[in-house]
Amino acid sequence: MIPALRQMWLFFWRDLTIARSYRTVFVVEAVEALFGAATFYYVARFVDSPGLEQALPQGGSYFTFSLIGFVFLDYLNAALDTFDHSLEEARDSGTLEHLLITQTSLPIFVAGSALYPFVATTLRIAVYFLWSAILFGFPLRSANWPSVFAVLLASLLAFSGLGILSSSYLLVFKRGNPAKWFVLGITGIVGGTLFPVSILPQWLQAIARVNPVTYALDAMRAALLAGATLSALWRPLATLLLFAAILLPLSMSAFAWAVRRTKTTGTLTHS
Amino acid sequence: MAVEPHCLVRATHVISFLVTPPSISVESLHKSFPPARSGWRAFLQPFEKASVAALADVSLQVREGESVALLGANGAGKSTLLRIVATLLLPTAGRARVAGHDTLTHSRDVRRQLGYHAGTDHGLYPRLTARQNLLFFGQLNGLSPSMARERISTLATQFALGEFLGRQVRTLSSGTVQRLSLARALLHRPRVLLLDEPTRSIDVIAAAEFRRFLKTQILQPGATSILFASHTLPEVESLADRIAIIDHGRLLACDSLAALQRRTSAPTLEEVFLRLTGRAGELHTEASVE
Repeated sequence: MIPALRQMWLFFWRDLTIARSYRTVFVVEAVEALFGAATFYYVARFVDSPGLEQALPQGGSYFTFSLIGFVFLDYLNAALDTFDHSLEEARDSGTLEHLLITQTSLPIFVAGSALYPFVATTLRIAVYFLWSAILFGFPLRSANWPSVFAVLLASLLAFSGLGILSSSYLLVFKRGNPAKWFVLGITGIVGGTLFPVSILPQWLQAIARVNPVTYALDAMRAALLAGATLSALWRPLATLLLFAAILLPLSMSAFAWAVRRTKTTGTLTHS
Repeated sequence: MAVEPHCLVRATHVISFLVTPPSISVESLHKSFPPARSGWRAFLQPFEKASVAALADVSLQVREGESVALLGANGAGKSTLLRIVATLLLPTAGRARVAGHDTLTHSRDVRRQLGYHAGTDHGLYPRLTARQNLLFFGQLNGLSPSMARERISTLATQFALGEFLGRQVRTLSSGTVQRLSLARALLHRPRVLLLDEPTRSIDVIAAAEFRRFLKTQILQPGATSILFASHTLPEVESLADRIAIIDHGRLLACDSLAALQRRTSAPTLEEVFLRLTGRAGELHTEASVE
């Protein structure tokens, strides 16, 4: 276990060192988060009304509702992109085959490569919320932080499965990412990112119930806006963990199969 | 009756040869790939039947401390063979073993014994320094941070890399990156070194220095075996104990240069290669036409 953790740390250290070599990236991202938060604030001011606020679950304004939806979509996007991006980068730089002949196991390689991007995305989200709290009155004080972190962790595990499935596709077919297109497309409509799921027709609500993002968003809004405790959130947390328990082994098997397939067809390093 | 000491030494060698598995053992290896496709058919390519033969019934052994060169034309199957031994490709039939471990069923044990250098200036992180790259790969190969630092220091001296360790790889010359890449392959003291055209993109002086290093530091101590592919005949002559000549995926011969010259009555390695691959006549015909 300890060598595995050390190897994961090595991947994190590698990516952090590479990210630090691009000196302005952190500043640019902080400014980008400010612009993003401001955009949501002014859009919300334009559309907000007492009627709309009453229709939103967990209370709050449309600004808080849509901001949480948007940053969570960013998180999902990162989960779907991270594995693909690491894989493409390793393939194009020629490091993939050198990584695969080290003594690192496939799960460590996959998880280690995703560690820094997830931490970076979490920090980016934190910066979004900080700007929103400082400048636009986002109510961070009402948040229940243990619940927030529990929801983040459960979401990360559930979304990672989707990301690994997507990179398995990339490994075999080299281009395109239908899993990302499908998941983001579906989530945009039925995930409850910019409008509540309750306004959708019944058949679309049924699709929303099998989408992990719906549960993650509901739980995150409840933890951030209504200060929901861990015990109050057990149902969405358990659902997210169930998604993770199904998706992670499935996706790791798919990834191992994809690596095997490319080692058979000789296309491991082809782009 | 007293036993002569030299007989005991010889007996020990024989026993060790019988007991120790060869560093690399390849048995009846076949490898075929699906045909290359373009357009929409490329989508089906990963699932197509492997019908293009790259290796056919190749059997070969590399003993401990031995250096074997793979010599063949482009597309002969040299890199395919190296990549199967490196666990980067799966054989279609037959098996390959490294230090007794099967590349298919015990790939992790195989990787523990391997150093691999593909002879390009790719494969390192351009925005990490040379030292950071070596630290990263060294530790992924099981070295502790202090052991990795110690090995980096030793190899940096041997490869004249000292002044470059603190620089980002993207700022280094092609030759320096090649030396760095070879240093990476040797960090964890592998028993087997696989080199795919190791001097392909370095200048004459660096290539000569590289061969001298391989000979004195890797081969002479006798602990590391090398299987390498090369098109450079002087390199093959100077480094290889035996030469495996491959053509169209088939192993035509594997023996010492002297034995190959005797067998083909050829004065040079080039002539040996041309005669064994049946190209000597073709070249003579072309020359007479010109």
